[in-house]
Amino acid sequence: MEKSCSMLIHFDKGSPAMANEIKEALEGNDVEAKIDALKKAIMLLLNGESLPQLFITIVRYVLPSEDHTVQKLLLLYLEIIDKTDARGRVLPEMILICQNLRNNLQHPNEYIRGVTLRFLCRLSEPEILEPLIPSVLTNLEHRHPFIRRHAILAIAAIYRLPTGEQLLPDAPVLVEKVLSSEQDLSARRNAFLMLASCAQLPAVAYLLSQADHVANWGDLLQMAALDLIRKVCRSNSGEKGKYIKIIISLLSCPSEAVVYECACTLVSLSSAPTAIRAAANTYCQLLQSQSDNNVKLIVLERLNELKTSHKEIMVEMIMDVLRALSSPNLDIKRKTLDIALELITSRNIDEVVLTLKKEVVKTQSTELEKNGEYRQMLVQAIHSCAIKFPQVASTVVHLLMDFLGDSNVASAIDVVLFVREIIETNPKLRVSVITRLLDTFYQIRAARVCSCALWIIGEYCLSLSEVESGIVTIKQCLGDIPFYTATEEGETADASKKLQQVSSVTVSSKRPVVLADGTYATQSAASETAFSAPTVLPGSLASPGNLRALILSGDFFVGAVVASTLTKLVLRLEEVQPSKTEANRACTDALLIMTSMLQLGKSSFLPHPIDNDSYDRIVLCIRLLCNTGDDVRKIWLQSCRQSFAAMLAEKQFREIEEIKAKAQISYAQPDDLIDFYHLKSRKGMSQLELEDEVQDDLKRATGEFMKDGDDANKLNRILQLTGFSDPVYAEAYVTVHHYDIVLDVTVINRTKETLQNLCLELATMGDLKLVDRPQNYTLAPESSKQIRANIKVSSTETGVIFGNIVYETSNVHERTVVVLNDIHIDIMDYISPATCADVTFKNMWAEFEWENKVAVNTILQDEKEFLNHIIKSTNMKCLTPPSALDGECGFLAANLYAKSVFGEDALVNISLEKQADGKLSGYIRIRSKTQGIALSLGDKITLKQKGGSN
Amino acid sequence: MGRCLGGSDTLFGLDARKRNFRFSISFHGSCICALLTAFVLFLLLICSIRLSSSAESRAVTKIFLRCAWFTMVVLAASIVTKSGKDCCLTFSFPSILIAVLVSRQFVEMSRIRIEGLLAAFPKLVGTGKQHTFVETENVRYVYQPIEALYLLLVTNKQSNILEDLDTLRLLSKLVPEYSPSLDEEGVCKMAFELIFAFDEAISLGNKENLTVAQVKQYCEMESHEERLHKLVMQNKINETKDIMKRKASEIDKSKVYFISILHDVHCNPQPRCYLHEPLYCTLFSQIEKNRGDKGGLMALSGPRRIESSFNDMSISNSGSGFGSGSGIGLSSDVESFSIKPKGRPSASATAPSKGLGMKLGKTQKTNQFLESLKAEGEVILEDVQPNVAQSKSSLPSTDPVTLTIEERLNVVIRRDGALNNFDIQGTLSLQILNQEDGFVQLQIENQDVPGLSFKTHPNINKELFNSKHIVGLKDPNRPFPAGQNDVGLMKWRIQGMDEASLPLTVNCWPSVSGGETYVNIEYEASESFDLQNVVISIPLPALREPPSIRQIDGEWKYDSRNSTLDWSILLIDHANRSGSMEFVVPPADSSVFFPIAVRFTAASTYSDVKVANVIPLRDNAPPKYTQRIQLIADTYQVV
Repeated sequence: MEKSCSMLIHFDKGSPAMANEIKEALEGNDVEAKIDALKKAIMLLLNGESLPQLFITIVRYVLPSEDHTVQKLLLLYLEIIDKTDARGRVLPEMILICQNLRNNLQHPNEYIRGVTLRFLCRLSEPEILEPLIPSVLTNLEHRHPFIRRHAILAIAAIYRLPTGEQLLPDAPVLVEKVLSSEQDLSARRNAFLMLASCAQLPAVAYLLSQADHVANWGDLLQMAALDLIRKVCRSNSGEKGKYIKIIISLLSCPSEAVVYECACTLVSLSSAPTAIRAAANTYCQLLQSQSDNNVKLIVLERLNELKTSHKEIMVEMIMDVLRALSSPNLDIKRKTLDIALELITSRNIDEVVLTLKKEVVKTQSTELEKNGEYRQMLVQAIHSCAIKFPQVASTVVHLLMDFLGDSNVASAIDVVLFVREIIETNPKLRVSVITRLLDTFYQIRAARVCSCALWIIGEYCLSLSEVESGIVTIKQCLGDIPFYTATEEGETADASKKLQQVSSVTVSSKRPVVLADGTYATQSAASETAFSAPTVLPGSLASPGNLRALILSGDFFVGAVVASTLTKLVLRLEEVQPSKTEANRACTDALLIMTSMLQLGKSSFLPHPIDNDSYDRIVLCIRLLCNTGDDVRKIWLQSCRQSFAAMLAEKQFREIEEIKAKAQISYAQPDDLIDFYHLKSRKGMSQLELEDEVQDDLKRATGEFMKDGDDANKLNRILQLTGFSDPVYAEAYVTVHHYDIVLDVTVINRTKETLQNLCLELATMGDLKLVDRPQNYTLAPESSKQIRANIKVSSTETGVIFGNIVYETSNVHERTVVVLNDIHIDIMDYISPATCADVTFKNMWAEFEWENKVAVNTILQDEKEFLNHIIKSTNMKCLTPPSALDGECGFLAANLYAKSVFGEDALVNISLEKQADGKLSGYIRIRSKTQGIALSLGDKITLKQKGGSN
Repeated sequence: MGRCLGGSDTLFGLDARKRNFRFSISFHGSCICALLTAFVLFLLLICSIRLSSSAESRAVTKIFLRCAWFTMVVLAASIVTKSGKDCCLTFSFPSILIAVLVSRQFVEMSRIRIEGLLAAFPKLVGTGKQHTFVETENVRYVYQPIEALYLLLVTNKQSNILEDLDTLRLLSKLVPEYSPSLDEEGVCKMAFELIFAFDEAISLGNKENLTVAQVKQYCEMESHEERLHKLVMQNKINETKDIMKRKASEIDKSKVYFISILHDVHCNPQPRCYLHEPLYCTLFSQIEKNRGDKGGLMALSGPRRIESSFNDMSISNSGSGFGSGSGIGLSSDVESFSIKPKGRPSASATAPSKGLGMKLGKTQKTNQFLESLKAEGEVILEDVQPNVAQSKSSLPSTDPVTLTIEERLNVVIRRDGALNNFDIQGTLSLQILNQEDGFVQLQIENQDVPGLSFKTHPNINKELFNSKHIVGLKDPNRPFPAGQNDVGLMKWRIQGMDEASLPLTVNCWPSVSGGETYVNIEYEASESFDLQNVVISIPLPALREPPSIRQIDGEWKYDSRNSTLDWSILLIDHANRSGSMEFVVPPADSSVFFPIAVRFTAASTYSDVKVANVIPLRDNAPPKYTQRIQLIADTYQVV
């Protein structure tokens, strides 16, 4: 059992030499000096020094001091010193302090008495406590509430010791008496808590006798009462009927903390719809009334829990939950939307969408800094509503289309993707959506939105009038042809200078990105230019349309999209237009536009010429329009849509699969044992299990759970630190918990001599640090010793622990050093597979500073086998869906993701190609925010990627 | 003897079984008999399992509760630096970590654990978040940035966030009070003071409702009593010194006298003893007394005490087996008692019509709620309140029949005038001196006050009371008990009264000006009552001399022992419905003057319950009776 630590104080100038100064100051008469010295002594002790000689000095010179601060510090000192010897017996000298403590307990100063009583709560040695008990008991009746409060605590603490029942057999009776006559709220709370934990029956009796008054108890006491109710009902669920009334009366209590606790209690006690509804109502009220974001988030968390366990009731509450959207905090809004989205049913969908629409409109009218992001959230929410319940799509799609021209590109993209999906899945809406899109097209500013919108126009303009107006719209947005003439040169000279500035910025931010399918591609910085270009260009060039502005800013990707859209429109026009001349005219117009784009691209007007990709595409379009064929026509007019439909189907299929998978998680297996109430305790453990849920919470928090080590696992981790022929043999087993590593080192003296001052000196590399100061031991001949060292980890990084064992023998005077093997700490202990959305992955990939690029070098021949091997050996999760990895095509790209226990992200991208000789080649790129992960993960991969052996 | 008893027992059991057997055969067919016995066996089985299970579960809970104290606790309160810096908590290479400046743990946890928790914290705090809590798998951190530092509470996840935020707010106010500068240096310098303050603000992990001023007061440890004690000690020392001097001089004198006597000794031995004796006696007694005074402080007495208590322990150890045995017996008794109402839960669930008009303090809404819960299968027990002893002693009376009607007020008003608690409890009790006067019934009259509900003694005929407002025994042939003691017949409560119906409100306005605190207090009484013997006691800070009273309506008295100022007004009636007082004390925190306690009585009650008539049941003349009606302020506090 590790020693408990009751305080930490930052201290850096510790040296054992100070011990003498401290001693002197303590022996002196100056109170200030004494205080200082005592403080220093405490800090030294906290930092692992043991000052054994100091105790007697303190007993002689400090105990009699009258000063209050000295007395309080003395209590802290007594709190942290070792009061027992190695075998757990109380040191004999501890009896010396008893008298002082007794005097303190009878001190005329009530505060001295109080703090001493509080100190007793932290003592666990019955030998010290026993003589003090009469004094503690007399303090129960003291006039001052401060003393009574602490006296009750002390009694409770003593009674709860393993031998407490012998020390204070009548403690519950005493406390019960106190409780009935006590006035001070805090003292009453302490008394009640003591009863609740030590003698439940009197506590329950008291609670029931006061049932009508509970509503008037103070908040502290009410909390304790609720706690007791939960405890009692957990162990004896048949009795909960008695308490529901009390809980209900507390629900209308003025203290919010109590109300919140009530709701929690209600949920834990009953699953009756009324109770749950009352709890949910309470939560919703708190959500409204509390202004603190923390509270709101936690209450939302509770609602979320309710949602999973009692969905049908929460469905009724959805509108109340949605009211939390009025909070300005985005986290809260997001959480609210998340909860609400899962509660949508066909019955409330209209109401919900109405609210969401109102919120969207609100974001337009008010100007808040995070409006853009919020709008994006709302759009996504509406999007998922519309997918679940297609009937609402018609009501929202038009509203959302107003946001195509939104300055927040992300939300505009969401909108346009939404429109694209709706237009495919809701054929009825096609006509109205297309008309609307053509009307609002000129407002679209962002290049990515533009290209997507153009694709929609190209695919879904079917009738003659639609096709024609589509062509007209594009033409209008492009403005007059040509884009660039020699005469314009002078006029635009200064404009192009400006342009240069703009594009120089954008070019520099050009960077590789991961495409959605995981391929690693270089993309011209289309989206980035979209932010800046439109703001400069329309004014300077007097450009009429957004497309023109984009193209003039050098975004030829949009140009290529325009070209292919026009091609599609013209091809379709030829099918629907009865008059051949009209079709031909449109065709020539389109050709003119394409050629002028090419001309612009080749000219020196723009700082950088058209990229090859776009050039090829535009040229392809021109060729196509010049000589059309049925095959090509079929590809352009039908295949695109078919593959889009296939993509949507695939997405839907995957979602359904997920829902199915979720539904598969059954709450109980058919062959599970059933707990019969009357037969419950025959299982023996079930009572314990019930208790466990709550106890665990506290225990986990205090770290008591760390103890259950798996013995078999321990043996796997044994490391030999020195050789068998060394005079000192050492081996260690390493236990890794989350934030700390425990080294249990066994040291064996292999010689026939006594080793003195044997010391295990450890040092670390990486983000590791030692907790304790090494201690010196004396090791008899051929005896062994267990030494434990605690090491703290603060980030995910491969760390190394190295060290040596130093000792002296009686005949050799210098110290002998045995160097130990290094202990490597594996990164795998710290990362665990995790998932994140595609977009987040891309954002993080773009953001993170550290990249480690590892060339693939493996004996494996199959791409997928290699991928699986990497996934297995790095303990990461593959984000790329399996369907995207299907098929044999000789190359593979996949994204992997993991999260460390410290919350750091680790991203990995694998790009592979199968060479002609059957070998795999390519790169594995690791990105992370900190260097440590990228490096250590890279090392790990380099080590393991070879494959074969493991 | 024992064997004999056992034998008869089994005989009796056999006999009973035989009888049972015969009965079932004669009455039903053998098939039904088998079914019945099977059923009985099954019941027995369940009973035995229940019994054993309850015993077992008790043992289990005992073990568990030992390690759990309260399920909502603050594990630690800490101050850490915001940014990474070279941490010197340990002796290894300095690494980039946050430095833990101060941390106080309120539950037992190992050092490595708390350091781990604190080290993990900065990684979890994201930037740009608008909330200040982080949850991990096991714990919750609630924090608040203070300049370059974080003030941080580590709690378990069940902990009540609202309480924790309150605590955090208090701590965040405390830190600047103690730390001169809110940076690493300042905090490190005052680390111990901060730990003391944390200890006061969070008592062993539980929240305390304290203000900054209170915490400061607790930490300063200025105690009036200690000063008094010191003064007394000083006085005693001085006194003893005086006595010593006096005695010394007496001894000196007596030496002279003694010598002179010695001169005489040959002549006359008698007078020597005579004069001599009292002198030695006083000297001895003085020494004895001194020793007695100091005895408690003598080092020797400590160990002796300890030894004796060790002996005590061994005795208690040997007797523990007996003690625990009896303890179990007691607790099981209590349990069976408390289980009793639970025995037939379905009965109470299916009988909602039981005495609806008599339910206490339950609004329609809660009723609905309960009904709805019941309908959904929750078991709800309504009358769980055990009977409270109701008799109250009063002065012996000479009238044959005395009726005491008493209403007790429990009022807690907040400083701002809001009501924390307003609760009126009334009793009607009867005292009959002679047995023959006991055959009576009482005609009750009362005012219709909203929220008023009556409860009668179980022996009282409820129907009679409900229909005619007559209190009479169920059995008309029995008299009311006679004797000197009061018999409670009826209780009532009034709930849901608002501020407007308070009989007296007290306003206290302490204000500090120029090194002194001026306290203005005024009372205002409502029109409905004439209050007698009003005493308003105001707690004062510890004072050496009585406070100076500037102005007062009424009389005052300063109780130096309890350091309270009692302001008494003999009668408040229409002539003085309001009054005020002003006094001056040395500067003190305004919270010192609370809670103000008020005592008074009045001759009329809220419910105006009266006994209009005493109706004799036998044909004799109605007995003479007196009625005492009183309203008493039981607890009447301004907090």
